[in-house]
Amino acid sequence: MKEETSQKPKLKLAVYWGAACGGCCVSVLDVHEKLLDVIAAADLVFWPIALDIKYKDVEAMPDKYIDVTLFNGAVRNSENEHIAKLLRQKSKVLVAYGSCAHMGGIPGLANFTTKEAIFKRVYEESESTVNPDKIFPQTHFDVDEGTLELPTFYNDVRSLNQVVDVDYYLPGCPPQSERLLEVFTLIATGAPLPPAGSVVGASEKTQCDECKRTKTENKKVKRFYRPIDIKDDGVTCFLEQGVICMGPSTRAGCGVRCIVGNAPCRGCYGPSEAASDPGAKMLSAIATMIDSNNEKEIEKVVETIDDPAGTFYRFSLPSSIIRRTIV
Amino acid sequence: MRSMEEARIGVYVCWCGNNIAKMVDVELVTELIGKLPHVVVSKNYKYMCSDPGQELIAEDILEHNLNRVVVAACSPRIHELTFRKVLEKSGLNPYLFEMANIREQDSWVHDNREAATRKAVELVAGAISRVQYHEPLDKRSVGINPATLVIGGGVAGMSAALEVANAGREVYLLEKTEQLGGMVSHFDLTFPYLYDADKMLEVMIRRTINHPHIKVFYNTTISEVHGYIGNFETTIQSDSNQEQTLTFGNIIVATGLRPFDASRVGQYGYGRLPNVITSVEFEDLLRTGQVRTKEGNIPQNIAIIHCVGSRNTEFHEYCSRTCCQVALKFANQLRSLLPDSNIYDLYADMRAFGKGCEELYTATSKKEIIFMMFDQQHELPQIIKSVAPGDPPMLIFFREKISGLGLEIPADMIILMVGMEAHPDVKDIAHAVGISICSNAFFIEKHPKLDPVATTTSGVYIVGNCQGPKGIPDSVAQAKAAAARVLATINQGSVHVEVTTAEVNETLCCGCQTCIMVCPYTAIHYDREKKVSVVNEVLCKGCGTCGSTCPTGAIRSKHFTDQQILSQIDGLMKMALKIE
Repeated sequence: MKEETSQKPKLKLAVYWGAACGGCCVSVLDVHEKLLDVIAAADLVFWPIALDIKYKDVEAMPDKYIDVTLFNGAVRNSENEHIAKLLRQKSKVLVAYGSCAHMGGIPGLANFTTKEAIFKRVYEESESTVNPDKIFPQTHFDVDEGTLELPTFYNDVRSLNQVVDVDYYLPGCPPQSERLLEVFTLIATGAPLPPAGSVVGASEKTQCDECKRTKTENKKVKRFYRPIDIKDDGVTCFLEQGVICMGPSTRAGCGVRCIVGNAPCRGCYGPSEAASDPGAKMLSAIATMIDSNNEKEIEKVVETIDDPAGTFYRFSLPSSIIRRTIV
Repeated sequence: MRSMEEARIGVYVCWCGNNIAKMVDVELVTELIGKLPHVVVSKNYKYMCSDPGQELIAEDILEHNLNRVVVAACSPRIHELTFRKVLEKSGLNPYLFEMANIREQDSWVHDNREAATRKAVELVAGAISRVQYHEPLDKRSVGINPATLVIGGGVAGMSAALEVANAGREVYLLEKTEQLGGMVSHFDLTFPYLYDADKMLEVMIRRTINHPHIKVFYNTTISEVHGYIGNFETTIQSDSNQEQTLTFGNIIVATGLRPFDASRVGQYGYGRLPNVITSVEFEDLLRTGQVRTKEGNIPQNIAIIHCVGSRNTEFHEYCSRTCCQVALKFANQLRSLLPDSNIYDLYADMRAFGKGCEELYTATSKKEIIFMMFDQQHELPQIIKSVAPGDPPMLIFFREKISGLGLEIPADMIILMVGMEAHPDVKDIAHAVGISICSNAFFIEKHPKLDPVATTTSGVYIVGNCQGPKGIPDSVAQAKAAAARVLATINQGSVHVEVTTAEVNETLCCGCQTCIMVCPYTAIHYDREKKVSVVNEVLCKGCGTCGSTCPTGAIRSKHFTDQQILSQIDGLMKMALKIE
């Protein structure tokens, strides 16, 4: 894949998925024809979803051989952890790409339960499972040809920075491909990079800052609604209509895509730099909106919030203050 | 994250004599804490707040080039300021200091030395972790509005008002009834010298209402006071619903208290037996000049019962301090008015303390008053209406404590010496001016001995009976003490105010206006042009409510940032895990 016309040596780029849905890898492809520009500037040295390069090939690379690794997905098992550490060792710049690597993401909601409960549900109780012998995944299994190995499934889902040092965070579920291109171009052109630990490819401000809906201080709610329960007027702030929108505690950068599509923000871009725990932040903001001073009535209003844990911590549970339920 | 210089922390563990050292192994705390990163010196001393203790810190700051200080001692409410001043004198910003409370929150409340020591180490580790994220804050000073608000037009309130006004300063005196005088306006004579209460009060009221610097508002109540020392503002409301906005720099609360409701003591029959009356009602009777029963007869047998509602955990545990002397006064007045009557004084303990009071007791005891003691804790006297013809209308049964004899006393009139208790609206007043109330519903002074008329809210003082039951001399003394404090503040012209206010990061603020809804001091408004919330630092009291509700993280509560609080928890928990 040598590019004769290139003046500079080409960047070595790696993309990896941990506990992920695949959407992040697809978002890389979503740069469409610009992928050609990417390939013009970079060699893809590792990308399991698209290229047949083995772990042992990566292990054979010298340290810091890879210029940039985009690591998407959370760390859920020993394989994810091993590759995270390997790629950290082999990469100059490690980017937590997407909500799962950034904050734990949707897989991180599993921290509301335990490994045992998950196995029981998946390998024993689920409607489509027939497992009378109650055989659960083993990490080692001896066959005639030798020992088969499976990664260890951890009790906790972790964000990437809970396992290795991370240089940059590119948030989103998935990140907007345009943002990826901007960041990539920045790196490829050798422009000065922001300080390590920065969130890149997103705004400093929050969703509300870009949201065109009208906002007032009149956020008084007698009950909360799911988006399907109300006839959204398309103009008024979702919160003022009693629909929980994570916009105030979520970084802008996606182009308020959900809100433009008349759906409340779900919070995939994570918190602003000043807020460490967007779920907690939003919970306290929501608490102030309840239009009652009566404890019993407040309880009733709170009960109208459908799936509060999944609403407030949809993408951020492993990196939040509460991190997981107590086991 | 803000850039930080390398922290160089000095840690000082106080013994507080034996208060801490008895329950906490201060040597061990010092040793373990000394091993933590960034801790340059770790020492303990008998009294850190003493001059040598403070000197120790000051010397170390210079010698070891410290840039952060942690003192593990008592509550920061007591000595945080003391140690901040040490830092300031040594050239450090006073906010680069953190206090770990290992006395009130540790040694005083535990009885296991090992566990208490462990807790002390954890608390100090939390403080060390926090102090690294402290930022220097600049002092702010504001001008003092020279007007003073006095709430309550009794003797204490008027005394304070007059003292301030006599110094040439404006006073707004708020009285919720239609006249000045408070409880004393019910009194006939005062103890111990039996002066006419009216004469004293008349002079005081006349001076007050005629004073060019005092404006009295009658039938007026207060809802909420905004602002802080030097710059308070409130809207007062008269009973005709007229509103007026007042601004002032200091507040003296003199709301007094009310008599105990005697009907709560069932066996005394108050409310059922017409000739069982309270000491307050008896004062009114004395003021008519004639002591008669409800039926209009001259009473032959009169009993006075002490401690009604006082010194009994069923009602109020505290002593009301004045009732014994008032009872002695009554006995004297009765003896003069009805020379041939039988006067029985049933007391629980005779507490005739104070200047001239024991003398009053001695003099009274020579006037054929029959003093008898009863057991206030276990066996209250029983009053019954007698039924046999020819008997006196009421009988008091009780066990005389000294002799142990069961006695039966006839009575035509019984005077219940009711104690004093807080007004039911103290909570409203406390909320309005931002001060605290104790379990007996009296306002809490800043320090019982060192700062008895101030409160923890700067610029708010408490005087007279709203602070606790007391007589006229003590009330007046407190009133004048508070006036002196107020005048000293006015004289300074400006005061340092809270710097730990909230600040808005305008880049981050998304204009959701959640903060405006929650601010209890209306200190935040929305800037429609910039589309951001703006904190008025003059009104902000740094309560932190907006900071915790701000969903974007745009509002920081200075000195209580997320990072500072989380790092404190982090430091504490890490140490707890390490010790385990």
